[in-house]
Amino acid sequence: MPVRTPHFPDLLFDAAARLRRWEDALMALLAAQGYRELHPSLVLREPVPEGALRFFDGDDLVALRWDFTVALAGLLARRFPDPPDRVAYAGAVFRRPVQPWEAVERFEVGCERIQPADEPSAEADVELARLLMAVPAVLGLKRAILHLGNAALVRRPLEAENLPPGLAKAVVAALSRRAAHRVHEALGDHPAAGRLTAHAEALLSDLDGPESLKALDASPYADLLAEERDHMGRALKAILPILPDRLDLRVDLADVAGLDFYTGPTLRLWAPGAQQELAAGGRYDRLFPELGRPWRAAGFCVRLSRLLDLAGTRPDLFELP
Amino acid sequence: MTRPLLIAFPKGRLGDELVPRLAGTPLALDAAALKSRVLRIPTATPGVAALLLKGSDLPRYVAAGVASLGIVGSDTLDELDMDLLELADLGFGACRLSLCTPAGVTLEHLQARPHLRLATKFPRATEAWLAREGLTAELVPLSSSVELAPLLGLADAIVDLVQTGSTLKAHGLVEAAVLGRSSARLVAARGATLSEPGRIKPLAEILIGALK
Repeated sequence: MPVRTPHFPDLLFDAAARLRRWEDALMALLAAQGYRELHPSLVLREPVPEGALRFFDGDDLVALRWDFTVALAGLLARRFPDPPDRVAYAGAVFRRPVQPWEAVERFEVGCERIQPADEPSAEADVELARLLMAVPAVLGLKRAILHLGNAALVRRPLEAENLPPGLAKAVVAALSRRAAHRVHEALGDHPAAGRLTAHAEALLSDLDGPESLKALDASPYADLLAEERDHMGRALKAILPILPDRLDLRVDLADVAGLDFYTGPTLRLWAPGAQQELAAGGRYDRLFPELGRPWRAAGFCVRLSRLLDLAGTRPDLFELP
Repeated sequence: MTRPLLIAFPKGRLGDELVPRLAGTPLALDAAALKSRVLRIPTATPGVAALLLKGSDLPRYVAAGVASLGIVGSDTLDELDMDLLELADLGFGACRLSLCTPAGVTLEHLQARPHLRLATKFPRATEAWLAREGLTAELVPLSSSVELAPLLGLADAIVDLVQTGSTLKAHGLVEAAVLGRSSARLVAARGATLSEPGRIKPLAEILIGALK
């Protein structure tokens, strides 16, 4: 039986002040790097997905803004013949949570880096990683963990094997649970079962840091993924020397969260002791072409509602304001 | 500040199997506490305690990060589909999820019925199997004593876990089809594992070493 706990949090004085302070500080960080704010309407008329808070405006089914990236992409594709290269946003999104204890109304700050499709993306990806690396200090988090992944490490082998959608979904669900044995169970006697299980084991290797890329040597798709591996290697080389003291870096080859959206490098920010990621993002090169624009893009979103919860339950993780 | 770490263990069949296997390990459960009615049991490792939970509640504790690790049957895991990590198939507690019918009633008999009623604790797995087989049925959700349903006319058949088959036999039921297999799995909270691997991994290795 589905559990529904509608949750529209009222923020009292301290939390409201903290939200305002964090929003201002993060937007200032983004503005200093050339990201200009866009504020898409709270009401979206795009095709409304399941989980959105829907209502009728006359005869039209509309929904409260459920995702900033989708809202901004619609706005940009409609209003700009050429892409603005750096966009920031702040505000609330509304969607039914996957986990019943999460809020429906969530506060976010984020950014999108948009480029023409023929422009190389490596520098933009590193730029976003550097920006995200600055976020813990802005928020006053004593320690944080940056996870670097790449959606293509799973996407491309699944596409190469042409798995039926149901089977591909089962493989992704198994990887999401970090369970290589589940990949094997899901594939049964499929001809690609051996290859994809070996690939899953390589992705879930215990190696860490730059060494973790060596785990791909054991994958049957090592050649197919050579470009992604080089890209990750270059990103690590650029990031490691400037890693702030308060930040640990982990390479997460098996990151499959948002795999139906992300197409390349992914970023996630955690804090030691946090139960949920505090920021997430990555490259999503397919969205703008679907909207008729030859642009590529990447971005990340800082989940301020989760940070507010964390500050309430684990104040020891934050520096005093 | 280091917070106490909780490991969720299932009560019942799986719990009965795993508690003796942990004896002598750093995660052995305190014998005196086990004999009492408390549900939070100290282990041989300071700062690590065990929670004794009903299997169907356990994944929620782990997914919410209340417990960092847990052991639960894959049948329950699949039924609830919570957001957690599955670190290992521990192999013990193996059983089948089966369609069970009164003796003499076959799968073909059921397929021929215009209206089929199946009683089960596993509606999600049953629905998935019905979809694979191209069948439709009315599901009668029950939480215990499912074997009684066909005997008393509440359902035509049941979908339930079968280990030895003795309970089925005692109720005049037979296995007509195997829908899937289940075994104990070591699960972990996503947040704890990704944010504090140094605390979680050594404990996971102790559990795998003792139980697999």
